[in-house]
Amino acid sequence: MSSEPTGPGPLDRFTGGILRENPIFRQILGICPSLAVTNTMEGAVTMAGAVLFVLVCSNVMISLIRHLLKPHLRILVFTLVIAAFVTVADRILAAFLYDMSKQLGPYIPLIIVNCIIIARCEICAAKQGVWTAVTDAVGQSLGFALSIAAIASIREILGFGTWFGQWFGWRVIPVAPPAVWSPWVVMILPPGAFVTLGLLMGAINHLVARSRKAAA
Amino acid sequence: MKNNDLLDAWLVLVLAAVFGAALAGVYIALTPRILQNQRGDAEKQIPALVPGAARAEKTDVGGETVYRATDAAGALVGWAVPARGQGYADVIQVLIGVDAAADRITGLYVLDQKETPGLGDFIKDGEKYLNQFAGKPAGVPLTVVKKDASAANEIRAVTGATVSSRSVVEIVNAALERFRRHRAAAGA
Amino acid sequence: MDYLSTIVLLAVSTALINNMVFHFFVGNCPFIGVSRRVDTAFGMGAAVTFVTTIASLLSWAMTYYVMAPGAKLTAWIAGLVGYQGTADLSILSYVVYIFAIAWAVQLVEMYVRKYFPPLYKAFGVFLPLITTNCVILFVCLEIMKHVGLGAPDPWGLDKALIYAFFAGAGFLIAIVIMAGIREELDLCDVPKPLQGPGITLIIAGILSLSFMGFTGVDASLAKIMHPKRAEPPPAAAAVSDETARPGATSP
Repeated sequence: MSSEPTGPGPLDRFTGGILRENPIFRQILGICPSLAVTNTMEGAVTMAGAVLFVLVCSNVMISLIRHLLKPHLRILVFTLVIAAFVTVADRILAAFLYDMSKQLGPYIPLIIVNCIIIARCEICAAKQGVWTAVTDAVGQSLGFALSIAAIASIREILGFGTWFGQWFGWRVIPVAPPAVWSPWVVMILPPGAFVTLGLLMGAINHLVARSRKAAA
Repeated sequence: MKNNDLLDAWLVLVLAAVFGAALAGVYIALTPRILQNQRGDAEKQIPALVPGAARAEKTDVGGETVYRATDAAGALVGWAVPARGQGYADVIQVLIGVDAAADRITGLYVLDQKETPGLGDFIKDGEKYLNQFAGKPAGVPLTVVKKDASAANEIRAVTGATVSSRSVVEIVNAALERFRRHRAAAGA
Repeated sequence: MDYLSTIVLLAVSTALINNMVFHFFVGNCPFIGVSRRVDTAFGMGAAVTFVTTIASLLSWAMTYYVMAPGAKLTAWIAGLVGYQGTADLSILSYVVYIFAIAWAVQLVEMYVRKYFPPLYKAFGVFLPLITTNCVILFVCLEIMKHVGLGAPDPWGLDKALIYAFFAGAGFLIAIVIMAGIREELDLCDVPKPLQGPGITLIIAGILSLSFMGFTGVDASLAKIMHPKRAEPPPAAAAVSDETARPGATSP
């Protein structure tokens, strides 16, 4: 059974996920984790890994059974598949990366309602072959990972002065007397998250508009 | 109509059964490890909190869970008392190490806190706050001061986080008072 | 009096201090997407509150009776077949919760379609989308944390429902405030790259900063409502009150 192209091919899916259809900055999906877990790089990396696992597994599963899906029940099936894989991811984290599991807390199970995954199942996996579904999942996850890594870098460096401070202890801004530099604690707190994401979105919109004008 | 719905739903039911079985498998495989992780959190700290402790076992004193710390030979060297209470932002959970007679605090560890990062959350820092508790008397209530602590029962607050510091001391005072009362009642 | 004050504290804490949007970052997608006008925002907030309360009722019941470690129904069935250990179906929690939420949304959808047709049309596709609203699943997860063996001070149905209702209320407050601000923003000159989600997020940041002012209110309320319980040992009361604000002292 060959996958009749009912959408962009595998390579398009892969690159689209990173830039053109970046889940956070272009599709505006998955905002909740990108604010909640990005006060440290470790949190962002763990979340990105979990999303990669769930997205790839769900896409593969849905793609394998795509010809069996009845239209009015397909959302139910997506939800069931995603919830099951998220449970697995959550248990694996609790077993092998317990500290991260405690730090990320309820945000791992919230991957179930992360719009990115349901959107990919609906747009790609339900219509295209397994290989395309895999590249789509990897591309979107990579786009998501790079985006939240960018947010987390800004927040952790300005808020703690470290980068990967928990796992590797790298200090970017040396400890200095308060008169010289105090960490911007607000960056670790909710307001810093919102403002960072808002400004980054503005910056990316600006770059996209400029490149469109240059191409025209 | 109803018949049709059931037929349509066969995929959902099959998937539910398959995933149910898979999840049960994951549960059986991973739960022992997870339980160990959860237990280990508090118990890992006990050797540092109670000097000379080689083993700790969970017991019950006066209806509350405490850890009984023993050395390699099995003799009682101290206790680790878990406690919790309201901090500035949210609940703070601590583990208090005391000596065998529950007369002196041997150490303090913050298990969980959600205080303000960069301010209140320094209560989990040994140098800035926690190390002061070792050696303090467990029989009298501790007090919090902003300058250097002079009396035996004084604790110096974390700069700029007096409420968090005071909350921890209140939690410690209440827990130790209860623990000593229960031990006295049990005649230990 | 004690019970009432616990409920009041829980309500205030959930709606204002630990606000779903500004503190826990859940419910951001509709918060950014549906906050253009106050009437739609209010409708969305009300719908979310309604769905959350119903879904949490289902979740609490399922958790308490079936899924939590040592839950009554499961333990009874396990007893029947002679199973010795603690019956623990909590691994099924997430799947069950999301289905409870989907079912609650279906229920609300049917109800709104029958009794408020114009509202149903106004909502369009957003009503079924409430299933993917993080607030509801987050509330179910919080309930799961507070129910079952070993949970300190387990929540009964009353506390779970209060928590769910006021979580929705907090979301409603947040989204209505944002809608009010965005209506005014239509008259302002927002730079093109920031229009839409960009400026909304920045405003959300300022709003969450102001909501941080509520921190510690529940601890103070608790002290007022239970003066006897909260009284510190006499020696500790020697610390002066002006030190009660962190940051008031320079490091």
